[in-house]
Order: sequence, then C-alpha cells, then structure tokens
Amino acid sequence: MKMIGIDVGGTFTDLVYADTDSGAVTIHKVSTTPADPSRGMMTGMEELAAKVGVNLSEIDTVLHATTIATNAVLENTGCEAGMITTEGFRDVLHIGRHQRPQHYSIRQEIPWQSKPLVKRRHRLTVRERLTSDRHTVLEPLDEDGVRAAARALKAAGVEAIAVCFLFSYLNPTHERRAAAIVRDEAAGVFVTTSSDVAPQFREFERFTTAAMNAFIGPKVRRYVARLDEELRARGLDADLRIMRSNGGLATAALIGELPVLTLLSGPAAGVLGGAWSGALSGRRNLITFDIGGTSADIGIVRDGVFVEAAARDTSIAGYPVLVPMLDIHTIGAGGGSIAFVDAAGAFRVGPRSAGAVPGPAAYGRGGTLPTVTDANLVLGRLDAGNFLGGAMKLDAEAAASVIGDLAKTLKLTPEAAAEGVLKVINANMANAIRSRTVEKGLDPRDFCLVAFGGAGPLHGADVAAMLGIPEVLVPPAPGICSAMGLMTTDLKYDTVRTVFARSDRLDSAELADDFAGMLADLEAQVVADGIDLAAATFLRAADVRYFGQGYELRVEVPDGRLSDGMVDGILASFHARHAAEYGHAFPEKPVEIVNVRLTATAPHPKLEGVPTPPGGTLDGALVHRAPCVFRTPDGLRTFDTPRYARDRLPLDTTLPGPAIVLQTDTTTVVPPGATFLSGSDGNLFIRLGVSP
Amino acid sequence: MIDPVTVSVIHGALETIAVEMGYKLMRMAHSSIIRESEDFGAGIVDRHGRGLAESAQSTPLQSGPLPGYVRGMLRQLEARGDTLHPGDVVMHNDAYAGASHGPDVGFIVPVFMGDNLVGFTATTAHHLDIGALTPGSCGIVDAIDAYAEGLQFKAIKVFDRGVRNDAVWHILRDNIRASDLVVGDMEAQVAAARIGADRLLDLIRRYGLETFEAACDASLDYTEKLMRLAITALPDGTWSAETTIDGFTDSDDPARRDLKIVATVTVAGDQLLVDLTGTAPQVPDRPINMPFVGTVDIAVWLTIRSILLDTAEHGHIPVNEGLTRPISIVAPKGCLANPIFPAPTIARFAPGNQLADTVMKALAQVVPHQVSAGIGNLRVMAFSGDTAEGPWVHMEIFEGSYGGRDGADGMDAVDTLYANTRNNPVEDIESHLPLRVRRYELREDAVGAGRWRGGQGSVREFEMLADGGVSIEGDGHKHRPWGFDGGADGHAATLYLQSGNERRELPSKSPYRRVKRGDTFLCIGPCGGGYGPPFLRAPEAVRADVADGLLSRADAAAAFGVVLTEALAIDDAATASARARI
Repeated sequence: MKMIGIDVGGTFTDLVYADTDSGAVTIHKVSTTPADPSRGMMTGMEELAAKVGVNLSEIDTVLHATTIATNAVLENTGCEAGMITTEGFRDVLHIGRHQRPQHYSIRQEIPWQSKPLVKRRHRLTVRERLTSDRHTVLEPLDEDGVRAAARALKAAGVEAIAVCFLFSYLNPTHERRAAAIVRDEAAGVFVTTSSDVAPQFREFERFTTAAMNAFIGPKVRRYVARLDEELRARGLDADLRIMRSNGGLATAALIGELPVLTLLSGPAAGVLGGAWSGALSGRRNLITFDIGGTSADIGIVRDGVFVEAAARDTSIAGYPVLVPMLDIHTIGAGGGSIAFVDAAGAFRVGPRSAGAVPGPAAYGRGGTLPTVTDANLVLGRLDAGNFLGGAMKLDAEAAASVIGDLAKTLKLTPEAAAEGVLKVINANMANAIRSRTVEKGLDPRDFCLVAFGGAGPLHGADVAAMLGIPEVLVPPAPGICSAMGLMTTDLKYDTVRTVFARSDRLDSAELADDFAGMLADLEAQVVADGIDLAAATFLRAADVRYFGQGYELRVEVPDGRLSDGMVDGILASFHARHAAEYGHAFPEKPVEIVNVRLTATAPHPKLEGVPTPPGGTLDGALVHRAPCVFRTPDGLRTFDTPRYARDRLPLDTTLPGPAIVLQTDTTTVVPPGATFLSGSDGNLFIRLGVSP
Repeated sequence: MIDPVTVSVIHGALETIAVEMGYKLMRMAHSSIIRESEDFGAGIVDRHGRGLAESAQSTPLQSGPLPGYVRGMLRQLEARGDTLHPGDVVMHNDAYAGASHGPDVGFIVPVFMGDNLVGFTATTAHHLDIGALTPGSCGIVDAIDAYAEGLQFKAIKVFDRGVRNDAVWHILRDNIRASDLVVGDMEAQVAAARIGADRLLDLIRRYGLETFEAACDASLDYTEKLMRLAITALPDGTWSAETTIDGFTDSDDPARRDLKIVATVTVAGDQLLVDLTGTAPQVPDRPINMPFVGTVDIAVWLTIRSILLDTAEHGHIPVNEGLTRPISIVAPKGCLANPIFPAPTIARFAPGNQLADTVMKALAQVVPHQVSAGIGNLRVMAFSGDTAEGPWVHMEIFEGSYGGRDGADGMDAVDTLYANTRNNPVEDIESHLPLRVRRYELREDAVGAGRWRGGQGSVREFEMLADGGVSIEGDGHKHRPWGFDGGADGHAATLYLQSGNERRELPSKSPYRRVKRGDTFLCIGPCGGGYGPPFLRAPEAVRADVADGLLSRADAAAAFGVVLTEALAIDDAATASARARI
C-alpha cells in the first residue's frame, strides 16, 4: 500500500511517502500556506510524488494532521454560532464555573466572557427538562419553541447551531428530536448536539464542547470537503484520514461532523511518531519530548500504551473540551524563548518567545533579545555553518553580543550566562516532565526520553540528566516526527456514557446493557464509514472514583460477560490505580463508576520501519572539530568537540562524548561522560552515566 | 552569594511541589466544597514560618494563611512546652492563632533532615461540618462565641512520631456530621501534605540545605523588591475609604447592623501602611468578626498585590512572604478587624471580602486605572437533611461580580477578590442530592451603569426535593457596590424563600431553618458598580447589551442616554440630544 502522511504546521508542511510493500520511505518539506493550507499540501504532494517517481493516482491513502480547528479557536475565527438550550440555563456558557482564570488580577479577561463561542443573543431557550434519573421527563420538549428558535437563529444569520440540554448525556432524546427539527427549519446550517459530542455530565464543560464544535464546524467541514475535491482533481481516489487528538485516525466524514476531535491533531501525531521510533528499538516506556521554537510538548507512553488525559484536564485556549485527547503537556519553552532579568533582579527564560520573526539574534533577522538558540550557539552546541544542514547561516557575533549583554546584567561570564539560560529552560522542562511522571507515581528513571522537533535533541541529554533518565533516543527524522506518526496508528472510534453506579448497589446487568448499547452505536458508526466491522476490535474502560470524590481514574474493563465477579475485579484495579496515582487508597470506601467507555479500533496499514542508514566510519563522519562548553564537576570547561554527520556514523558502535551530531533537521548534543550510538534500526541513542 | 540561575531553578521546583500537593488533595478529596469548589490550600513554609510557595489551584483565602497557621501552631506548642518530631502531623484551626476560621482546618507536616527541622508542608481545606450547633460550617450566624462554632484544634498532633493518635480521630468521627466525608477529606489533606514533605526533602538533599536556604532567601528578597518597586512608583500620601456591611439587618440592636469598614492607605517611599482604624467595634456575640491573622491580612495583601502586581500585566510572580514585607497593617484591638477571643469569627467570609473591596476603594484614588469599581459580595448556603444513610450537608458558594474597569466591563457572575472558588455543576448536584436547580442565568433586571458597566449578577433557583434545613451567610443585600469616577452604583443582592404561595425575603445572614420539600430559594446576585460616566459608554456597547437581552431599550435610554429604534439601530440624533441634556 502507498501512503502519504502530511502534517501542516505553522511554518512548514511536512510530508512522508511510504510504500508498505517495498519498505520505501521518503520525506519532504514545503512552506505552509496559511491562507489556504491545502495549496501547500498539494504542491508538497506533487513534488514528493515526482521525487519518488510515483503517480499520485497510485496513492491509496492520504493521512493528515491539521491545525485548522485549533487555529480557528486560538485566533477566534470560527463562525457566528447559535445555541438552543434548556429554559433557565441561557448563560451556562458565560458563567462557567464562576471562577476567574487568575487569582491575583483585577484587569484579567475571562475568555468565555470576552470571546464567547456563542453570543448571548444567539443563545435561545426552550421549555424542556430531564433529570438525573434517565427515565424521567420532568417537562416534555416544546417542539414549537424549538422551531421558532431555529427560525430566529437562521434569520439572524448563524452558520451553526448547538443543541444543549441538561442531562442529555443520560437521555439524548430531546436533543435528537430538537436537532431534527432544526435541520428541517434551518437547512444548510451545521447542527450539533451536546450528547453526540461529549455525552458526559458537567453542563458547562459539555455545552462548551458542543459550542466549540459548532463554532469551528462550518470552517472545518468546508476545509475537509475542499481537500477531498483537490485530491480528486489530481486523480487521487485515495481515502482521506485525519488524525484525532486521541492518537487515532478518523474518516473525513466523521471529522466533518465532529471537528472538535482534531484540536490536538498535530501534537498527537508527534507523540505517535516518537513512540513508534521507540518501539522500533523495543522501548516501551517512553517520554516523548518535542521542542520547537516556542513550545515543548511532553507525552507519556507506558508499556507501549498512550496515556489519555482525564476528561477534566482537557482544554484549549482556556476553554474546557470534553473529548478524548492524549495526555500532552505543553509548556512555553523552546529555541526562541527569551531570557531576561526582570526589574527586581530575577533571571527568567520564557514563556515569551522571539518566534520565527524576528527570531533569535542568531537568525540575523533583527532579533535583539537573547534566546535559548543564542545560548546554544555561544556555547558551541549549535554550529553556525551547519544549521538546518547548512541551509541557514547563523550569526555568531549577534548571538555573542546579546548573550554578552545578559552576562553583564547577571555579572557572569558570557559562557556562564549562556549556560544559565540553558539550565533554567532545561529545569522548566524537567519540572514539566516531573509533573507528568513523579506526580503520577511513575519513576522517570524507568523511561527512555525520545527527543525530537528542531530543538529536542539539543536539550534531551541535559534534561534527562536532571531527571536521572538513563537513555535518550533521537528518531531517524526528528524534524518530521509527526508526519511519520500519522502512519503508525489505526482508525479509532469512541463513545462514553455517564452512569453514576455505586459499588454497594451496583447492578451488573444494567452496566452490561450500557456496554451493549454503546457497542451497537459504535458498530453502526464503523459500518457507516465503510470500514470492515469484522476486523475491528473493541476495548472497554470505566472512569471510577470513590463515592464523593470529583475526579475519576480510568481503569480497563476486561472482555467477557459483565458479572459481579468482573465488577469486583474492576474495583480492585481502581484501588490499585488510586494508590499508584496518589500514594494512598481507601479500600473500605464505596466506589462510584462515573462513566463507561468503549473504543473501537479498525486496523490501518502502517509504517514498518525505516531503511537502515548507510553508516560509515568515524573518520568519514567527522565534519570538523570546534570548541564547545559543558558543565563538569569542576565547573564550566571548554572541550574540543567533534561534529559528526549522522548518516555517516558507524552503525551499532558505542562512541564517546562529547560530540555534536549534525543532520538536516536537527542537532544532537552528546555531553562529556555520555556515550552515543547510531543504530541500524535508524535511531540514535545517547546513554548517560547519570545520578540526578 | 548564590547565583540567580540556582535561585530560579529551586523556586521552580518548590512551585512544582506545591502544585502537586494541591492537585492530589483536590483529586482525593470527597466533599464537593473541596473538589468542585476548590476551597482548599496547599503550600510550603520555611522553618521560620515564612511562606515559600503555594499551589496554583487553591483559593487565595486558603493558601495565603498557611504561614500564619504554622506560626500560630509553633507559638502554641512552645507555650505548652511541646516540640516537633519527625513523623508528626499537626492539626490546627485556631482563628486566634493564625487560622482563617474554624472550618478551615490545617494539617501541617514538619519536615526533618535527620534531626533538623528544615521546613513545613501544609494543607488547609474548608470542611463541610466541624461540629457546630447546626449542620454545615457556613451560615452558623447565631454562634455566640468561639465555643459555639464547633471543634477547636490548637496544635493537635494527629500523628505523633509517626503513630496515629486514634483518640483524636475517634473524637472527630463522633462530633462531626457527615463524618465519612469530612474525615476522608482530612485524610486526603494529610496524604497530600506528606507527599509534599517527601518531595521537599528530596529537593533539599539534591542541593544541600545551605544552598536551598540561600535560594529561598533570595526568592523572598526578590518578591519583596518587586513589591517595593511597585509601591515606590506611587506618589507618597494618604487615602481613605469607607464601605458598609449589612451585618444583621433584621436585628434590633444597631451595634449589629450597618457596620462601617474603614481603610486608610499611606504610601511612604517603598512602604505601604493600611490602617483600619475607624472600622466598627467587634460584635461580641455574633460571628462576623474577622481574624486579624488569617483573614484581614490576606484580604489586604491580596488586594494590593492584585492591583499593583496584576498578573494580567506582570505575568506569573512567585507568591511568597517577600510580597508582604513592605506592607504593614494596623487595626485597633476590639474592632471587627481585630477581635478579642472568644468573639466568634466563623462567618467572617463576607466582611473580609468587603474589607478587601474597601482597600481597593482607597487605592482607586491613587491608581484609578488599575482598579475596578465596587465588587458584588458573595453568599454561602448550607443545605442539609437526613436520609436513610445518615445526614447530608452540601455547601454552595454563590458568586458576586466585579465592578467596571478602565477599558473593560466588570467580570460577570464570578467570585470576587479573596475568593476564587468554583460552582457545582447542576448535573452533579441533582445526581447526588435531593435538590433541583431550576435556573442559573445572568440578571436582566439591573445594571451598574458606567462608561464601563459593572459585571452582571446571577440568578439561581434551588428547590428542595426533600424536607431539610438551610443556613445562609452573605452580605450586600442592603449596601450597593460603589460606582467609580462618575459611574453609577451597582445593585444589591436579594434572597427569597418561596414556600407554597408565600414568598418572603430573607436577610443576608440567616441561621439554620427547617424547610419543606418543594420550598424554593430564589438567589439573586449583586451587580458590580459602574466605572466612568454612563453617558460616555460607546453606543454600540449599549446596543450589544440590549441585543443580548441584558438591558431594556428603556434602560438604555434612561441610564446611558442611548436611543435605539425598535430594530435596535442606534438613533444617533436622539442619542446625541439625550446625552447633551446631561
């Protein structure tokens, strides 16, 4: 099978071609065309096809990670949306949880108040009321009211309508009926319901998720349709698959209905790519560490399984979003992060970034503030003549000048100031990793750090040393890890139901009914998407907490008939999970199963590996030697450090640091005392003799 | 001399630990007041009792007092001739020794390296019930002294050298309603504080005690300097402001109602003095007195910090003791803001927030562009009852709203100033309690008119689905949030109890009363004050509020001088002439 994976980022569009039969893999990069990303994609595909000598019509599948939904939210450029909601609850979206984002601020903005996804004038209410007992209808749906509201919204010119009723996660009939009426009355309008988008309790979070789906719906739907058209116009009748935030693929049709599933499309693909590289070398406990110019994304893979974020922890731009997402932690730390000393004398690095323009001083585009990249250059870790494979010349003098100014303010030598910049930014990243591991009962020393993105391999070894992580892995193509990640996963469908079942009065037959109902829903979705149902596998899970708690932990529910015995097993694994997560369990307390979940996975062809690197000799790989500053137990020392071309390194040979390994899309730093090895599986390893 | 890099790295690590403590407490906690409302605190205190870091999730009124808890505990241990040992966990809630008020019980873990005390980790949380005279721990507005407020813990070791003091835990279980929840929450507090202690010890070992302490000193000096710089930027001088709290508006005793809060701010160089002289005398037998340490100090610090070092302007700033060093607070003994034991304090929440608002009103004269007009205060209600499984208690915090700001309208329907809790989802309340929420929306009947209008208050309706009881504590039913710089005053809160066909208005403080199934509370929140003359408000902004259904056309014309056609177009000529008449 021939596939093309395309990851559209802010600056570059990364493409990967893979032929799963021949094992051929080719990568390509073009500039992103922000006004219409599909243009850059098409250019890239045509160039890539020419490069590998295939006809575009031979491509079977196009896989895509997109930022179209994310940008619509971040830049507040969704549509004029409307909402129909339960009488008495017009302002759920506006009041939220009545909490301010900042404790210590009079002049702050509350995003959902200053930039509402749906304006109040477009939030209309109708009479209807359900309750926490899913069989009780307190007030029947006022269908005429829905009709009138739909007409009014249509007349007001909204492009999308979200139908959001209380308790619809238990009983979606009112929402479904209302949605049908809206479709009748307001043809052409994008319609979505909160029970379809996120059938879970907590009205502010669920309604916001549905409102966001409406806000971005028309734009994403148009984009997907357009993309499909463009592909057809080039003779492709390939399936278009889009990366979801949960690390699964979805059909274009599904994303046209539920664009809110793609908010972490790119970062999720990155985690997949990092995890896939680790798996190539048999590593199953991984911390993926993706550093770009302005931010670092951290993901966790435990025993080969991606960690999904708890439903209460998922948000974008300050808005909560109740959809499955990989647990990706983003902090404002990257190559462009600016170092400064504030008015009261504290030394800080980031979160402010010089971005791509003007960028670090070293870019020579007018940047005048010291950044992480400048510090790396001053210390000799970046090579002025070999940045991005020599495609961009760095301005060492400009970097030395801005770091020199910083050093004067700090009363340190320029080297010490530069090293200080790295130490602070690395400590920020190490703290972020600590919060995803140590705080959850995981010992980072049991993990391998997969460093990628333009700047990941520059910092990987130092951050790993701070955490006692023994090994850093740099994937074959660290700059396009996300595009590779697209080719490593399956189609995924999921559904969830809130059940609030207490362990001391639990009816396992009712629970079995819930799972059976969800199974039927998912099977219908799979079939509707034209996917072979027989090949699909199903995974059950439950969100569980002690009765009275507000936060759930996810535990697996094994296959088979749901008996009382199985429920006991679920409870036992919850107690164990609680103890692992919080260091404490309350085994005598009643337990509440809050949500049950079902995920369907339909297999998709995958990338098997990358071709073995050409290899060579150490002498042949040596590009040149240059001074490089590292911290040693005796303080800062300058080492005459060899710079090697990665693709010419001898394979499977342990080599001593210090060394700098060059390749077109990144630079890898191997500190003194560490060793490194270029594997025949395509990965580069750094082994640290660490004691944190 | 420690280098700035190490200072930054160690401070970052301390904040990470504090956040982890808060995260774990919130997730392990059982009652909604902690896990949904987030009425809890977690932080790290040095061995001298100086605050080093606090968890970002907690509410300021909980984390802020932690250092005071530690110092109060140390004083009491010393007075008893007792000392701390490795393995101790101390429970403390003495409102006259650092605690914010009785229901906010602190659990403190002294951290030892070998035999040396090197610091403390501590958690606080507002507990559902603390064994007061009526169910719940809010709305205990008829407590006549500190003894009537519930159990008092004055530096009680619940673990002594690692051994659980079972007797204390038995007492807790026997004297607290809904004790499964409350004791579960306390255990979560202990667990979170212990996790923090382990992490703190790791951190100190990694860097060595000397480096660690030098870094902490430098962090404290740093925030002190930040605050001094901010104060220095102000002109020297003295500014005074006064507001009035309801107190007990239904009382015959004038000493219990319409009580003044006075704040006088003096700037002298890099120092700031807040003098509360003029504030009404304490109410000796009603619990609206504010603990000087734990409530008053926090209200003052929070307000000054939020105005002079506003996060929206300054970004993240470490929260530690250094920020408070340049600020002194004076309150005469025996006034509402510095009561004398055993004057009761359990219902000090609303007065304390009003005090914060009064400090802002004084500062508004110095930094008019950095403040909001008067805020709307909050209300807390405790709903309770009995089921076959035992008593239940639920506390709900009702939001206020902010006044208008220079360049922005007030925040609508949010917690204000020293409170920043969360509401409970309607779908959670109704799934677990015999309550029904019939309405939760913005007010449409009133506006704090101004060039920048005040935030809209909320309207909530709670129906009892079973017989039970309700206790209420709030303020601002009588006195309206102040308008600023030509802005109109905001609007007061109101509370009605509908029982059958009878509807009656309740005062802002209302002790436990029995209520029947079907009884409904209509809870109307306050609208914040307006900022700047309403006739300078952009006509388009007035039109938007009318289109959004928050304001009537009649009020648009009357309050703002903006005349709208039936189709909601701005009638420019009519608007100009309406505005010219002023």
